[in-house]
Amino acid sequence: MIVRYEPWGAWVKLETQAAIVALDRDGVRALGLDGGRAWDGAATRESAPIEVHMAVTARCGAGCEGCYIDARPDGVEPPREALERELDALADAGVFTVAFGGGEPTTRDDLDVLAEAAMARGITPVLTTSGLGLTDARVEKLRRFAQVNVSYDGPGETYAMVRGFDASAAAERAIERLAAAGIRVGANVVLTRASFPRVDETLARAKSLGACEAQLLRYKPAGRAASIEYLARRLSSEQARSLGPTLRRLAATVCAAGDFHVRIDCALVPFLSADETIAKDPDALARWGVFGCEAAGALAAFTVDGRVAPCSFARSSGLSATSLASHAGDPELARWRAHVAAPPEPCASCSLRTVCKGGCKVVASFVKGVHGPDPECPRVVDAAGERAA
Amino acid sequence: MSEERDIQEEQLRAVRTGHGANCSSIGSVINTLFATATVGAAVFAAVVAALKREQVKVAGKDQA
Repeated sequence: MIVRYEPWGAWVKLETQAAIVALDRDGVRALGLDGGRAWDGAATRESAPIEVHMAVTARCGAGCEGCYIDARPDGVEPPREALERELDALADAGVFTVAFGGGEPTTRDDLDVLAEAAMARGITPVLTTSGLGLTDARVEKLRRFAQVNVSYDGPGETYAMVRGFDASAAAERAIERLAAAGIRVGANVVLTRASFPRVDETLARAKSLGACEAQLLRYKPAGRAASIEYLARRLSSEQARSLGPTLRRLAATVCAAGDFHVRIDCALVPFLSADETIAKDPDALARWGVFGCEAAGALAAFTVDGRVAPCSFARSSGLSATSLASHAGDPELARWRAHVAAPPEPCASCSLRTVCKGGCKVVASFVKGVHGPDPECPRVVDAAGERAA
Repeated sequence: MSEERDIQEEQLRAVRTGHGANCSSIGSVINTLFATATVGAAVFAAVVAALKREQVKVAGKDQA
């Protein structure tokens, strides 16, 4: 196991099973360890991220309508040496997981080397791909990744309604190829107004192709998706409010046999406030390590030009990726953390506050023009309605 | 370390299962929230067992 001390105890990454554990101080002492400096004057110490999303290229020929980094066929691609220096910075900061993305990361021919470089530094490498053009030769270069997720929003026209073209067959072949090669594979499923009604079918299809999990992703207004079209593509208020029952149904169907899991992304957590049962028991979410907005907290992103951003959808800070150890002093990252530490109403009095952390600030900034409460959160919507009434 | 450690389940503040491989937003397994108490207990018991057995390394430049 790999231990990283925190003011409250330690994050522990297990090596014999895929799990990260938050262990309290007594638990850390039971390991025969002491937090040392991390446990002295703990109140002022800012923790480094445990997961970093690293854009290894801005090159991609897919042309998805909603691409959050506006990737293009002639996008820039940093040299491997630069990325290895960024991996050094992750190791120095004690980051557990690096997720390679882009752009289309499989356009690089050195992904196997980068995966090895991450592992040599004690970091678990994972990867997201569109699956387009994923040949057997490219699959071979992905064997060192702990998991590969393929962007798959649904069969046929469902995929097309999210991305603007139908490459679902290529994504399905990629899931099959990766699974057949013995590589742990998941599906990234973007939820839009059009794809949400078909999520059961999409997950069942992904599972039948060999995926072991699906990650549900909220559509976010960044890159090419930061346009007026966002308002028509985002989940409707009714769909957002039905997330809890939807997850309950998926758990009882596609997950029932225990061989398939469903993840939700950080930006979907605020929608759980509409589910009375879940909202009453935030400790259950916390115990299962469910993360809301961890931008500039447990999560950070490295942009393709080597800067640190609070998350992949947010503007980068002035901090160089190789200076991640100095993250606590960066004013932009500090601004994001400060909002989480003291959010305004209605977040301040929300039962899910400590898990949700105020919802998606990227959505708030786009829709409302402020770094504030998530305007699509059902609780925020209801509070605004009460104020207006 | 061969001696078994005295790790208790109540010392686990949170357990995040799986690797997750999305490169844009951080994800969390959610179906376990709706699992039976038996399934949940089995996951936590397996984690405790691993904490008792696995060799310890400390991450980070300034932590070791």
